[in-house]
Amino acid sequence: MDGPIPGEARAANLKLWNAWTRIHEKSAFYDVDGFRAGVSSLFPLETEELGPFIHDDTTLLHLQCHFGLDTLSWARLGATVTGVDLSDEAIALARRLADEVGLSSRAEFVCSDVYDADAHLADRLFDIIFVSWGALEWLPDLERWADLVARHLRPGGSLYVAEIHPFAYSLDEVPGLHDVQVKYRLLPAPDRPDVEAVEGSYADRDAVTEGLFAYGWAHSLAETIGSLCDAGLRVRWLHEHPFSPAPFWEWMVRSPDRWWWLPDGEGGHRLDLPLSYSLLATRPEVGATQGGRRA
Amino acid sequence: MLDDYLKANLASWDEAVGLHVESELYDLQGFRAGRCSLHDIELGELGPLVSDGTTLLHLQCHFGLDTLSWARRGATVTGADFSGEAIAKARELAGEAGLSSRATFVQSDIEHLPERLSDSFDVVFTSWGALMWLGDLDCWAGVVDRFLKPGGVFYIAEFHPYAFLIADDATPESMRIGYPYFQYGRPQRFDEPGDYADPAATLDHTVTFEWNHGFAEVVDPLLRRGLRLDFLHEFPYTIPGLPLDFLEPCDDGLLRVKGRHDDFPLSFSLMATKET
Repeated sequence: MDGPIPGEARAANLKLWNAWTRIHEKSAFYDVDGFRAGVSSLFPLETEELGPFIHDDTTLLHLQCHFGLDTLSWARLGATVTGVDLSDEAIALARRLADEVGLSSRAEFVCSDVYDADAHLADRLFDIIFVSWGALEWLPDLERWADLVARHLRPGGSLYVAEIHPFAYSLDEVPGLHDVQVKYRLLPAPDRPDVEAVEGSYADRDAVTEGLFAYGWAHSLAETIGSLCDAGLRVRWLHEHPFSPAPFWEWMVRSPDRWWWLPDGEGGHRLDLPLSYSLLATRPEVGATQGGRRA
Repeated sequence: MLDDYLKANLASWDEAVGLHVESELYDLQGFRAGRCSLHDIELGELGPLVSDGTTLLHLQCHFGLDTLSWARRGATVTGADFSGEAIAKARELAGEAGLSSRATFVQSDIEHLPERLSDSFDVVFTSWGALMWLGDLDCWAGVVDRFLKPGGVFYIAEFHPYAFLIADDATPESMRIGYPYFQYGRPQRFDEPGDYADPAATLDHTVTFEWNHGFAEVVDPLLRRGLRLDFLHEFPYTIPGLPLDFLEPCDDGLLRVKGRHDDFPLSFSLMATKET
């Protein structure tokens, strides 16, 4: 099946994520040794909001799982997990880590573009689909993404998304000030990826990289939520947050609970701007009214 | 304290009615001659669900032009607004337009409307510059839900919360942020002599208290009431009357960000259904 990601973008992003996997494995940000020693890579947000849905033998599909730390953290909480990622090096590392921590029997990793995941997942249904932190920006077409999510949720099953806020993607720093302004587009343009030369990584600014490019797509909250409605999912709640899981600029500040914030100039955190959001959407039980009204 | 905010805003809106009925923006002459005051967004999205006999409640209806425009399209309408001046004018206009038999107007703020109105409706409608006057959207969502029949539809077309973040002196090159997205219930106090429909006007009641509401603040209380979200749309344009200097009027009569006509959302709309 031909996915919506242009070949050039797919090749560049694959090269990028393979390179980032090698950097991230050794980064303090991902703290793989801590994970090996039993530390969960999940933020308190995800464990509070999605945790109550995870029980022994809950089946969980993690789309765009990178090298599987979050996937395996859910497995440690009892879930039987499947992680999908584009990067072959990330999937190889995820499988190694699953072995090392003794979770291979409950963790499976699939190397695939999201849009090609059907080829591997066939008609399998999951209790939970999990998507988080910097995933959707790599996808040009959220309608096809939402349709895929809906196809792989069991009736009554839920999609959980914790993501960088579209508004945060539009921000740039004000030169010379620790302040932000709106610079980049806030509405989607599926045919116009943002192409950016990449130096280092969000997890390690000083990492040495060469010849790496990122192809990303702007998305809006309305587009994301609308895609889920159109796919027949029932949006249950939507939360917005003034913190981020990673810094956008080096002058952002980190709190002990690992979130990054815009500083308020007085030693505190700015609480007035949305930097992330989370939502839950459920596939209706069989026989329930379907949502979705294209207008 | 909330009552003090409400009182200041009510004084401002009571005074604005006299100004607005004379304004070009509201074009009362045109309305009397049959012009529909509704915009393409709400006509396109909600219009197909409104036909003869549809019962429609318009929350924060001001002096009823939109309410009566829905009535002209066949709906049996009820408009609610906290301004007595606005409600009096709306009733007068309904009489003039020969729509009194299908148009009821109720003076009430949102919170107390359930004490003054007992019906339920096929459609609950609200639009353009309504939510900024409400401090508590949880209460508002409860009122929306309360007045929807099972199977009924809630529809809103509104200014985008992003539009209210940008600083007064922003330029398209430097879209500085001047206002909060999250206000945690605390209003912003404005003291401005002019009016959106007539910037040159000098009003007596110049102090208002307003709340910007993020998407989650609007959507989440509706979802928690059990309404089914049907769509959420964003538009890179908005209707005339939003007095922001970084906007420019375009050939189609709508406002867009100067030089950036496609990429900055200025309006949103949402439809949600109360399931049977």
